[in-house]
Amino acid sequence: MGQTSGRQERNKKPEVAPSEIMEAEIEVQNTKEETKDVKAKNQKLTSVFGLADLKNEAIGLYNLGQSCCLNSLLQVFLMNIHFTRILRRITVPPSPAQRRNNVPYQMLLLLEKMQCGKCKAVGPTDLACCLSEHRVELFVQHDAAQLFLTLWNLLKKQMKKPVEELSDLYTICIQEHLACQKCSFEVKNNSTMLTLPLPVLDANSHRLKTLEDCLQYFFHPEELTGQNMCFCQQCGRKTTFLQSMKLVHLPQTLALHLKRFCFERSSRTQKLSLHLPFPQELDLREILTESQCQADDSEKGTWQFELFAVVAHSGLSSCGHYCAYIRSLTDCKWYCFNDSEVCQVSWDDVKCTYGHSNLYWRETAYLLFYMKKHPQQPWPGVSECL
Amino acid sequence: MAQWQEVQSLANTYLEQVHQLYAGSALPMAVRQSLAAWIESQNWRQAAEPLCSQARMLFHSLLVVLGERLGSLGSDREDFMLKHNLRKAHRDLQAEFEEKPETFANLVANLLQEERRILRLGQAGEQEGSAPAPSPAPESGREQQIQQRLGDFHRALQEAERAFRHLEDLQDAFDFCFKVHYRPDGERNSDPEYIQELKSLQDKLQNLHRQRQEVLALMQQLLRRSETLQELLQQELGGWRARQQRQCLGGPGDTNLRPLETWFTELGQGLFQLRQLLRALGELRQKVTYARDPLVTETPLLEQRLQEQLTHLLRSAFVVEQQPSTPNAAKRPLVLRTAGKFSARARLLVRLHDRNHRMEARIHIDRDPPNIRGFRRFNILTSSSKTLLAGDSPQEGLICDFQYLTLKEQKDSRAGKGKGGGGEGPLVVTEELHLITFTLAYAYCGLELELEATTLPFVIISNNNQFSSAWASILWFNMLSSDPKAQQFFSSPPPAPWPRLAEVLSWQFQSVAERGLSRDNLLMLAKKLLGSKPSLDSTVAWSKFSKDSGSGFSFWAWLDGILGLLQEHLKQLWKKGLILGFVSHKQKEKLLKCKRSGTFLLRFSETVLGGVTFTWVEHPETGPPIFHAVEPYTASELVSLALPDIIRDYHMSMEEKNPENPLKFLYPNIARDEAFGPFYSQRMEGNLSDSQKYLNRRLIRVSSRPPNRRQTEEELVVATQDLQMLQLQPRGQGTQQPGGLPWPQPLGTLQVTPGNVGTPQGVTMTPGTLQVTPGNVGTPQGVTVTPGTLQVTPGNVGTPQGVTMTPGTLQVTPGNLGTPQGVTMTPGTLQPRGLGMLQPQPQSLEPPQVASGVPNFQGTLQVAPGAVGTVQVLPGGLRGDSGTLLGTVAVSSGTLPAEQGTLPAELRDLELLPGGRDMQELLQSLQELEPGLEAAGLMPDVVPTLEESFQLSPGSAALLDQHDPFLPQPEDSVLPIVPSLFTDFPPLHIDPSDFQ
Repeated sequence: MGQTSGRQERNKKPEVAPSEIMEAEIEVQNTKEETKDVKAKNQKLTSVFGLADLKNEAIGLYNLGQSCCLNSLLQVFLMNIHFTRILRRITVPPSPAQRRNNVPYQMLLLLEKMQCGKCKAVGPTDLACCLSEHRVELFVQHDAAQLFLTLWNLLKKQMKKPVEELSDLYTICIQEHLACQKCSFEVKNNSTMLTLPLPVLDANSHRLKTLEDCLQYFFHPEELTGQNMCFCQQCGRKTTFLQSMKLVHLPQTLALHLKRFCFERSSRTQKLSLHLPFPQELDLREILTESQCQADDSEKGTWQFELFAVVAHSGLSSCGHYCAYIRSLTDCKWYCFNDSEVCQVSWDDVKCTYGHSNLYWRETAYLLFYMKKHPQQPWPGVSECL
Repeated sequence: MAQWQEVQSLANTYLEQVHQLYAGSALPMAVRQSLAAWIESQNWRQAAEPLCSQARMLFHSLLVVLGERLGSLGSDREDFMLKHNLRKAHRDLQAEFEEKPETFANLVANLLQEERRILRLGQAGEQEGSAPAPSPAPESGREQQIQQRLGDFHRALQEAERAFRHLEDLQDAFDFCFKVHYRPDGERNSDPEYIQELKSLQDKLQNLHRQRQEVLALMQQLLRRSETLQELLQQELGGWRARQQRQCLGGPGDTNLRPLETWFTELGQGLFQLRQLLRALGELRQKVTYARDPLVTETPLLEQRLQEQLTHLLRSAFVVEQQPSTPNAAKRPLVLRTAGKFSARARLLVRLHDRNHRMEARIHIDRDPPNIRGFRRFNILTSSSKTLLAGDSPQEGLICDFQYLTLKEQKDSRAGKGKGGGGEGPLVVTEELHLITFTLAYAYCGLELELEATTLPFVIISNNNQFSSAWASILWFNMLSSDPKAQQFFSSPPPAPWPRLAEVLSWQFQSVAERGLSRDNLLMLAKKLLGSKPSLDSTVAWSKFSKDSGSGFSFWAWLDGILGLLQEHLKQLWKKGLILGFVSHKQKEKLLKCKRSGTFLLRFSETVLGGVTFTWVEHPETGPPIFHAVEPYTASELVSLALPDIIRDYHMSMEEKNPENPLKFLYPNIARDEAFGPFYSQRMEGNLSDSQKYLNRRLIRVSSRPPNRRQTEEELVVATQDLQMLQLQPRGQGTQQPGGLPWPQPLGTLQVTPGNVGTPQGVTMTPGTLQVTPGNVGTPQGVTVTPGTLQVTPGNVGTPQGVTMTPGTLQVTPGNLGTPQGVTMTPGTLQPRGLGMLQPQPQSLEPPQVASGVPNFQGTLQVAPGAVGTVQVLPGGLRGDSGTLLGTVAVSSGTLPAEQGTLPAELRDLELLPGGRDMQELLQSLQELEPGLEAAGLMPDVVPTLEESFQLSPGSAALLDQHDPFLPQPEDSVLPIVPSLFTDFPPLHIDPSDFQ
């Protein structure tokens, strides 16, 4: 576990880094889980194997009260066969109490319930209770990006065995560069992220036209001047630095977070409903310049993505509703998961989440999940990047 | 088709799956088959929910229906097995599910769901198997998609309504139980029965909660569907707007609003229904609510979202169906005239309204005027408000139709613009864009909105001569801007990409004459606009397009002139593609070079506004091909003689040759009559034996060419065939050309109709013979009317065969300046059998003095020695005439100041009757002045005026100045030749052989 926790230490940064809305609430879980670290029994739930996946029909999740956000994210997780493949191999905790509080295990149970029950929808009550044990409150409207991170951290912490595969599946490796503009002093820093938090407005509050623009803008080097100047060890004083980010590795499932909110002076968060189209196919090699990548050709060869899921939000920043559009990996059709109601939709429906600057209550895409088209097998581990 | 039927028609592989599905199922397939319709019409999913009484009811109904079915089975042998199976199933089902009907309901629901899945797979497989169906046109594909989605939307709406009613039932049941059983005072808190009831109440509430969620989820789904639908409709509407804009420019496109109206109305209806449903949901919440009631948190959200969507739909549904246009401006809307009437119409595509509520529509002009200095402001003089008409028939829709609108300029706001005042704005009138805004106070089902629709910008002109450039502005704007509110567009008009402009120009021709511009046409225009190397990326600046480029007129004015010409005179020819049209000088020679002699093409003049001309090629025996181009015809000429007839009768007279029509083949290689035959005006084929009062007549055009000239452009009209009528259309420009005939410029036509021309009686002319071929110009009229011909074709004065005129009978109308009459009437000189005596015998010839009251005619008649004299008719109402006898050479070249050549309109077609005063004077004077007349003597009061009004220009000499030494004087009719002055002129030869 020492080794594991060591990696967790290092990974802590991206957990906090991606977006402003995230609170540092991770530490608590770290300590909590240590105590439960009993010997894994390596017991597999044999019952969950077999035909379950074959009848992988989209099943709804009942809303337990403001749980639309959780429901949407759960669907995004559970419709991802790469994830469920990992989930099915988790180590089941020995004691009933541990099982009750184990997020991966509860998630697995939910998956089974969804797939065996042949019901239209199931209630994620047990999982929700389990999560509330880990300070994910029930009956509270969550921010999807934040909840996604929380969920993922919980999963990673509590999953014993295939945790590295989990990291490989979701974490993005980037290299941060800080270069002093006065001398040649340069700081490089490798880090991982779970989502790329993409701004939808540029520094002058002009709207960025497309998702590709957002990505370009995100990787655009930024000069740190004035108040933002950094201390240069070589120069011995605060100097202007050029901050840039280079992409090192992209995971099988790439999560993009559209920062559709702005803080007004009144400190109220305002939702930006502006129009931002995103493509069904995304090729990062075409978007990023050579200098924005730090990867070899075989890595870059895998940077072609297909849209897998969209978590959309309707309403205002204070109140609203989430739903998820997911393209099934088995039948390649789009489904809309709106709590208990699941229906097949078309790309036209998904396109409606591009947003409209005059329609504030409409659904707008908030989280985008892209899936690699040609995954490299085996995926290079995150450990190699660090 | 019912589901079970569809399942049975699946392919074998899928049927196998169905068999497997039922192999282990508690519901035997026999039951499924026997009760297929009934099973499918029940809501098993809903019944399967826990604690739902419906499950038990359904289960028992099934048993009953099954029993009935058993009873209805006959005693046939085939039915025997079925009967047995059904009976067994009845027993088994009852035994197994009597106590747990919910499980049974769930089982059936799952079976049906699985069937549907297999069905989907199977049908998808079939579609793939069958050859790729011919993909429908994208248009109809989108239409289908919208239709289908509308259908889905309405089905989902019905489903939501059903679910809502179910929710109502549940809530009523719960409410009742709650009121009956719930005792908050706690007196029965320990009572186990009460605890049991409380638990059941709790369950009922749970159920209610779930149903509420269900309904909410359905509503959300509905909103989502309608959002996608609206997105599609907005795209369609955007397409319609673009089509309307294009159509305003004359482009193609269907601008029927009917399908859009239907779709918008259906969607609007659905959304209003949904709104009702949401309200009812709110009422349910009023009655029963509890902690974490989803209705409390979700309904406001849904209401907001719906409201926003409905507003968006209605706002976009108010459109200007008919852009402002005046009734008569065929195909050119958006150009209005002050004080002229115009109309505009807006339509609300959502055909929903409250019959009891009158909705008022208003119009405003330039509600938010742009901040442009000198921008004219207008008032709408007529009533600017109107009640929205619902129309008695539902087909008509909701329209506000404003007709007979008139605009008046607000004088005070305008600081003398157009009057050269200081308030001159940066934009000329035709670049000033105005807008009309429609507003409508919409109210329906408690929703009140102010809707707004804006027209495309239009131009307001005060004079018709601004029409063309106003239209150019409209073209430019609609071609380049899709923002209808950009009234400042012409403050800095963007350049137009050539391909776009080319398309729009082509539409202009398409809409005027039903044939667009060909690629070659466009290439020529591109070269004209963009220089020799136009590319697809080239752009054309607004000023280049619409502003005078130094040639006296702008590109657009030139093009519009051609459009006008097409519209008025050449529609059919253009439509049939007989006019090659836009061909540059160079190109036309290239095209014709390798064609045989007599191949011609029709093209538009590049130097004359609205002119069309033809060019033909001639291959001389030696030397390079020669290209002849006739001087362009304009509307004023084509109005009296259609181009096909001109082409048919066109003649070229050449020295020592019979005049012939040089136009033989239309480029590339179509016989002239084949190409133009259908367009010739009908020829009256009469002969003299007919008891016709008048002979047929016909006008032809002739060009003549002096032998030493390659090309001549002057043309004449000579009456041939019957010679009853003469038309004259002299062209002014001939004068300018060295060597050409100095023509005066009477722009009108002189017509001499039989009634006033020298009566055909007494003139024994044989029409056939009287052609203006050299050598047999007998017709006096020909001589007189076309003085020029006499000069050029030297021999044509001769042989006036068949002219047997008795002087008394010939009456001269001033219009055709009867010089010939003069000739004929002088008995001594003219003898029957013509002018055979045209030997130089000056003394025997009487200078034919023709008095003319026609001011618009000035020509010179030049005759060989012994022939007649000069006739000149002067503009300006002068009764000018002077006869001159030329000794050996005809000399004439008179130039008139241009303004004298133009006639007042009323004088263009002048007819003078024989009995007129001028006539009398003429005759009188002729008698009086028989032996050697002097013009001055004839009409003394005229001469001074003549002198004044004539100017001599170097290189050409005007006649009629009797003091001009070069002019023949009556006394000495033989004058020395003065070749130096008239080098361009061929000497006149008269060869006796020509005359017989």
